[in-house]
Amino acid sequence: MLEIKNLHANVEGEEQEILKGVNLTIKPGEVHALMGPNGSGKSTLAKVIAGHHDYEITDGEILFEGEDLNELDPDERAHLGIFLAFQYPVEVPGVTNNTLLRESYNTIATSRGREELDPIEFDDYLTQKLELVDMKRDFLERSVNTGFSGGEKKRNEIFQMAVLEPRLALLDETDSGLDIDALQVVADGIKKMRNKENAFLLVTHYQRMLNYIVPDIVHVMIGGKIVKTGDKELAMQLEEKGYDWLESLATVNGEKDA
Amino acid sequence: MKRSINNKSVLHKLTGEVENADHPLMKQIREEGVRKLEETRFPTSRDEEWRFLDLKPITRTDFVPSDQAGSKPIDNPEHYFIPESDSSRIVFVNGRFDRELSSVDGLPEDLIAGNIRDHLDHPAVKSYLNKLVNYEDDPFTSFNSSFFKDGGFIYIPEGVTVDHPIQLLNLYSDAEKEYFATPRVLVVAEPEATATIIEDHIGVAGNKYLTVPVTEFKLYQKAHIHHVRIQRDSRKAVHVSRPITYLEKHAEYHSYTITLGGKLTRNEPRVIQEEEEVSFTVDGLVLIDGEQIADTHSLLDHRFSHAESHQLHKVVVKEHAHSIFNGKIFVRRDAQKIDSFQENRNLLLSEEGQVNTKPQLEIFADDVLCSHGATIGQLDPEEVFYLESRGMTKEKAKEVLTYAFALETIENIKVESVHKLLIEEVKRYTSAEKSETVSA
Ligand SMILES: Nc1ncnc2c1ncn2[C@@H]1O[C@H](COP(=O)(O)OP(=O)(O)O)[C@@H](O)[C@H]1O
Ligand SMILES: [Mg+2]
Repeated sequence: MLEIKNLHANVEGEEQEILKGVNLTIKPGEVHALMGPNGSGKSTLAKVIAGHHDYEITDGEILFEGEDLNELDPDERAHLGIFLAFQYPVEVPGVTNNTLLRESYNTIATSRGREELDPIEFDDYLTQKLELVDMKRDFLERSVNTGFSGGEKKRNEIFQMAVLEPRLALLDETDSGLDIDALQVVADGIKKMRNKENAFLLVTHYQRMLNYIVPDIVHVMIGGKIVKTGDKELAMQLEEKGYDWLESLATVNGEKDA
Repeated sequence: MKRSINNKSVLHKLTGEVENADHPLMKQIREEGVRKLEETRFPTSRDEEWRFLDLKPITRTDFVPSDQAGSKPIDNPEHYFIPESDSSRIVFVNGRFDRELSSVDGLPEDLIAGNIRDHLDHPAVKSYLNKLVNYEDDPFTSFNSSFFKDGGFIYIPEGVTVDHPIQLLNLYSDAEKEYFATPRVLVVAEPEATATIIEDHIGVAGNKYLTVPVTEFKLYQKAHIHHVRIQRDSRKAVHVSRPITYLEKHAEYHSYTITLGGKLTRNEPRVIQEEEEVSFTVDGLVLIDGEQIADTHSLLDHRFSHAESHQLHKVVVKEHAHSIFNGKIFVRRDAQKIDSFQENRNLLLSEEGQVNTKPQLEIFADDVLCSHGATIGQLDPEEVFYLESRGMTKEKAKEVLTYAFALETIENIKVESVHKLLIEEVKRYTSAEKSETVSA
């Protein structure tokens, strides 16, 4: 489904490389966890996959269903079924959740050859999805993320994901800032959405989330590279030992990247 | 009347066209208008109050009085009627009252809504017509006073609540020559009177004209007036307006000015507090593109204690358009416990566009809460990306964000058809790839 080969990326117009040769393959039905210390490039990887304009791919490629994503605009990637739950969801004053979702759902549906829903059908559909993430209806009429608490923002990302039913969901630290109850709700939501056709990449710091959703594969990113890949045991080890024992793996040709 | 010889600006040159008036009040107003006009110099962009403004659209044209312009009939005037004002509508075409298009049957009996020329002996007209308007060294008000023959007069008696909004509809027709119009309005709201007034300026064709509306409002104690002003002039038109409002104790005046049309707009709203404890709003929304210029110079004059004022002036600039905002807030020495909010937010969507903004606070009292600010910005790229990542094209995302920015002012306009109409206007503006070219 997703194949990333030797991906190098930096901030457009700046020298400093952030991603330094990432390799990652995700197949349908899989849940991957991406862990790693702060500043290692996890969010950058997620944003590059989603098509953020700040970054420039200098080498390597990202293939989604065999298609080169670098050629596509962010909206086209969304149409293919890529969804990014932002680490820092953006406040969009004046645009209600309802407006955003109707607009998004219908454009994505059309491009994937599905029927658009009329306002009444769409409303029913939203109601089901609200239940999935345990949110109240008045959420729909509020401006996207505006004045939301940290937890509400994260939950709103999951709600949007539930509505848009992506094929590949990139969840960037959706678990941080959630209390245990909210985490449970979010994790249950993800579990219910899981099927053989879709895949998840969970970017996280903590083992916590992975107690609820057991990943098939765990990657550790340090210094812009995936330095180790394993199964759920790896996540446990990280919880115990931290990342220090892996730092040496980030060294290339005797030269350590900061 | 004799022709002015000492100042040859376009306005001054026209004083020879001023007609004699029969009614003593009109005679007095006209004579005073001409006298003041002749005493006043036409501004230039070297004058502090006219900085940044390119006045060429006025100075380079020989405007003629509208009745000499060979004006063409308006095809479908009903198109501009708002349904809520079906029987509370006063219509002016090129500044002249149109009895046939007007309809005021639906208004309370003792209320007056009609042509000011028919009410010159009314005590409220005698007391206030041309007495409220007060703009220093301003040839435009004098110009209006020299020329207006008709005007809207709305008198709301004590305690009367007008259920339907009153539409003051100003239509500007196509014509063979470039003409000027001098719309005039006097609104007097007696104690505890309540009404909504929709003042509409619409150019029905793409022709050039100059309109100089002067609008005087007097609100007695506890009167409540909502005043919506929609400027949809032709894209070649010049619009120079002076709306001024006086507030007695416990009066409330809330105005929303939407500026969409015109080649050059200069709007100078003023609100003057006459007694303690008033509340007022002077909000504005300006959506301009192409070569449009829109200039708002406002004055909110807090003269007594306990005033609450609100001014949110939002502007979107596309292409080569140019917006100017100068917002004066006076808080006089005896005006304590003032709560005044002023913000000018500008969304500059092109490299060629231009924005000048100057909030100007002059506060002589000490117990005052004044928040004010001005911002000039582009759309936030993170917001754009967020919407793109949800499947919207970049263009659509920008459109949605611009629309959201513009909507805030409109949300306060409670007349449904007007609200809807403005939403359509905002959509049309935000989705326009390029500005409409003028259909001549
Ligand atoms: N838009 C940007 N501009 C400048 N530096 C950036 C930008 N995005 C990421 N970086 C830098 O790239 C590195 C990785 O950041 P990030 O991907 O956010 O890490 P993580 O998500 O793993 O904490 C950091 O040093 C960060 O400062
Ligand atoms: Mg991150």
